[in-house]
Amino acid sequence: MKTLLLRMEPIVWLLFGAGIMVGTLLLPGYLLTVTLAGPLGLLPDGALAYDRVYGIASNPIGRLVLLALVALPLWKGAHHTRALAVDLLGHGADAPVGSLLYAIAAVGSVLGILAVLAL
Amino acid sequence: MRPADPHAMQPSKPGSTRTAPPQVPDDFWTRPRMLTYLLFDATGIVYLLVGLVVLRVAWALTSAESWNALMSEFASPGYLVFHAIALVSALFVGVRFFRLFPKAQPARIGPAKPPPRPILHALLYVAWIGITLVLLAILGGVWP
Repeated sequence: MKTLLLRMEPIVWLLFGAGIMVGTLLLPGYLLTVTLAGPLGLLPDGALAYDRVYGIASNPIGRLVLLALVALPLWKGAHHTRALAVDLLGHGADAPVGSLLYAIAAVGSVLGILAVLAL
Repeated sequence: MRPADPHAMQPSKPGSTRTAPPQVPDDFWTRPRMLTYLLFDATGIVYLLVGLVVLRVAWALTSAESWNALMSEFASPGYLVFHAIALVSALFVGVRFFRLFPKAQPARIGPAKPPPRPILHALLYVAWIGITLVLLAILGGVWP
């Protein structure tokens, strides 16, 4: 398992790097509107109505942005949580924790691709 | 060609040399730089959860009923607190990562040289603020 993780390093680092960069660029705008201002009633009426949001998310650029918001934070999160586990629990935790976290990120990414294709 | 063994450069036995794996010092919580480093890593937990929640958002867009139900869930105190923590995490990651990014660039990539560090740092902030404003305008119902 440890060998597999080492062989996956270039792919994981690519996705981790994209996650920390692109994920961080996109998250404040998404979080401020969809998850905070919208639920608190601070947005104009209809801003987050289903038809409007569906129209935004289902065009090609919207699908790409939505997929980036799903997959890239998952890989950034998996890699940094793995590093945290190694720091706090020691290297013995690396293979099982890393494998589990990357599996979650991989399955989540595939489900994200299916979700944006289903729009 | 035989692929390189990833353990090829590993020492035969770990020792107290610079090849030994890094260890967290016992008193790490008393060291501010270590705490900041661990906090930066801990944002990974938040990002992982955010990714899973956005996955729910993507699947909720398959019908108006599931979308409206999810928006009602997002108004619950638990989700509001979580998303406020997520926003703080994203800002913390952005400020720290964008400060480190220019220092991590190679001196040259082929014939091209990266711009000076302050310019690169400023460009990252311009992109960050610009993308955030565009998303605020679109998702906030202001534009188009």
